[in-house]
Amino acid sequence: MNLDSLIHAEIDGEITPEQHARLEDLLRADWQARKRYLELVDQHARLLQQPTVNTGRLQSAALKRPTRRWLPALTAAAAVIVCAFILWPQHATETEATSNGVAMLSQTMDAKFTNTLRSGDTLKPGTIQLTQGLAQIEFFSGATALIEGGAEIEILSAWEARCLSGRVRVHVPPAAKGFLMHAPGMKLEDLGTEFALNVKDNTSAVHVFEGEVIAHTDTQTPASLKQGMSLSSAKVSTVTPQDFLPISELHGLVKQRDTHRFADWQQWSLTACKDPRLIAYYTFKHLEDDRWDRLVKNVTEPRHAQRDGGAVGAAWTQGRWPEKTALEFKRPGDRVRLNLDGTYQALTLACWVKVDSVDKKYNSLLLTDGYDNGEPHWQIYEDGSLMFSVMYRPAEVAKNAKYNQMYFSKPVFTADSLGRWHHLAVTYDNTSGTVIQYFDGQPVGHEISPLHQPGRDIVFGPCEIGNWGLPTQGHQFPIRNLNGAIDEFAIFSTVLNAAEISTLYNHGKPD
Amino acid sequence: MSDSPTSTETLVLLLTQHQEPLFRYIFSLVPREADARDILQETSLALYRKFAEYDTTRPFLPWAYRFAYLQVQKHREKSARSPLLFSEDVMDLLASERSHIEPRLDERLRLLDACLQKLTAQDQELVTSRYAMRQSAEEMMARFSLSRRTLFRNLELLRQRLHECVTHQLQAEGFA
Repeated sequence: MNLDSLIHAEIDGEITPEQHARLEDLLRADWQARKRYLELVDQHARLLQQPTVNTGRLQSAALKRPTRRWLPALTAAAAVIVCAFILWPQHATETEATSNGVAMLSQTMDAKFTNTLRSGDTLKPGTIQLTQGLAQIEFFSGATALIEGGAEIEILSAWEARCLSGRVRVHVPPAAKGFLMHAPGMKLEDLGTEFALNVKDNTSAVHVFEGEVIAHTDTQTPASLKQGMSLSSAKVSTVTPQDFLPISELHGLVKQRDTHRFADWQQWSLTACKDPRLIAYYTFKHLEDDRWDRLVKNVTEPRHAQRDGGAVGAAWTQGRWPEKTALEFKRPGDRVRLNLDGTYQALTLACWVKVDSVDKKYNSLLLTDGYDNGEPHWQIYEDGSLMFSVMYRPAEVAKNAKYNQMYFSKPVFTADSLGRWHHLAVTYDNTSGTVIQYFDGQPVGHEISPLHQPGRDIVFGPCEIGNWGLPTQGHQFPIRNLNGAIDEFAIFSTVLNAAEISTLYNHGKPD
Repeated sequence: MSDSPTSTETLVLLLTQHQEPLFRYIFSLVPREADARDILQETSLALYRKFAEYDTTRPFLPWAYRFAYLQVQKHREKSARSPLLFSEDVMDLLASERSHIEPRLDERLRLLDACLQKLTAQDQELVTSRYAMRQSAEEMMARFSLSRRTLFRNLELLRQRLHECVTHQLQAEGFA
C-alpha cells in the first residue's frame, strides 16, 4: 500500500496495526509525506465538520455510470512523476569528457547567430551564420578569423574553413601555415599571413595585407598574392582595401562595450545595495586606500560594517571587465572570512564566479564554519552540479549520522563553462523547504528534501567565501578551496523569485 | 457588573467561532472522529477552567491549540495500548509543522467547495451519503451495491480527486 492509500485507510478506520506502523514510519521520515497527510486529513475533517456544505448543494439522484473513468488521469499523474525522476538525474557524466571542437568563439561584439552561440564556446565542424555584429573565431591550428555579420562560414576542421558569404579577415601565424580558406570561385592557401575575403553574390574578392597567399581559382593557374595585392573572381572587378574588414574595429568596440557594461553595472549596483532584503553584499572592489589590502567591504546601505569580510591569501585579480576587480582563490588557504549575525526564515545567495576547475570533491562557494543546526553550505560538487545543504540534526541522532538536507542541481560546470564568468544563485525558505538553484539566470534545480521540517531557523555566524572552516590546532582539515575567482556576492534574507534572479543576471552579465 | 459572565460569554463566543479549526487540529493528530470529538469536549472544558489566564489581546487559536495538544497527550496516555495512535515524536512533528502550513490548509478549504461542485453526480452522492448522512459502511454497501473493498476504494479515489482539484486550483491562482 502506498502512502496515500495508508492515509485513506487511516481516516476511514480501515487500517491494520501493521499498516498504521508503516504509515507512522513514512510520516516520521519525510516532510513531504507529512504535508500530504496533513492536507488529506484536513480535507476529511472539513467534510466531517461541515455537512451543510454537502447537503445544501449536493443532493442529486444517483446516476449509474462507471466510476473509473478518471483513473487514466491518476495514471498519467503517476507517469509524470516517474518521468520527473528519470529526467532529473542527480549524478550524471560518469565518462571522461570529450570534445570534438576544432575552434573557439573567442570574442563577440553585438553578435547574433542563428544558433545560440556565446563568447567562449567551443565550435565543432559545421556552419555558423552570423546575422549581425562581429565575431572572432580562433581555430585550434592557430589561425584566427574575424567575421562581420551577416556572414555564413562553414568550419571544416582546425585547418580549413569555407566562407559562403560576408566579410572575413584571417590571420595565420607561422604555426598554422597551410591553413585553407575556401570561397566561391577560389581556394586560398595561406603561407603565413593576414588577408581579407569579401564574398558577395557568390563572387569572391581577396586582399592580402601581409605575407603570401596562394590563390587557386577555377579559371587561372594558381596565383601567388603578396602584400597589397587583390584578386577577384568576378570578370570585371575594382577592389580596394576599403572593401575589407579592418582588424582594429573589433578590439576597439569590445573595449568600448566593456567600459559601458561596467559603468551600467556600477550604476545598477549603487541602487541594488539599498535593497532592505540584503543581509550582506560584496562587490569585491579593491580599495586602493586600504593599507592592509585585505578588506572585502559589505556595501549594503545603510552600512553594516560588522559584516565586512576579510580576505585571507586570496589575491586581487581582474573581474568580469578590465576595470572590475575580483578575488582569486587558488591555494588551500585562500578564503574570505565573514561573520553574519541574525536568524532568518529564508535566504537567497547569488554570486558571479569564474571557476577554473572543479578539482575537489567539494568546491566552496559559501560555507559556515563547522556545520551546526540551521547553517547553510553552498558548494560545487565534483560532478559540476551546484550543491546546497542545510544542517538540522535532531537531538537523538548520533553525532556522525548524516542528517543534513541536501539539494543538487543538474551538472552545470562542464568543459564549456569553466574559465568563464557565470552567475550562480540559490533560494531556500524554511516553510516550504523548496530549494531552487539557478545558473546564468535559469533554474537548474528544484527540490524539497524529505528531511525538511518547516519553521526551523537559518543562521550563518562565522562563515567564509571560497573555502571551509578554520582549522583547529593539530587537526587536518579537508581541502575545499574554490579554484577560480569571485567578483560579486549577495546574501538576501528572503527568496528572490525567478524574475528577480534573472534581473541580477542581466545587470551583471559580462557582455 | 461582575467579570465572570462576561468572560464565559466571551469564551462561548470564541469557542463557537473556532470550533472548526480546533477540531481540524485535533483530528490531524488523532484522525478518528469519535476520539477527536471527545478530545474537543475535554479541550473546551480545560479552556473554560483556565480561561482567566487567557490574554484577550492575543490570538485565541494558538492558545487553544496548546490545550488541545495537552488533551491529545492525555488521550494517548489513557489508551497507550492502542496500536493505532501515533507516537509522540510523530505527533510533535505534525503539530508543529501544521502550524506553519495552516494558512495554506485554510486556503485549500476555501477552494474545496468549488471542487465539490465539480464532482460527478455519482461522486456527489457518495459524499452526501458518507459525510452529510453519516451512513455506516454497511448502509453504503447496501445502498450502492458495492463490496466493502470497492466502497472504500471509491471513497479513497473520491478524496484523492478532490485533493487534486484543489491543488490545480491553487496552481492556477499561482499559490502552489
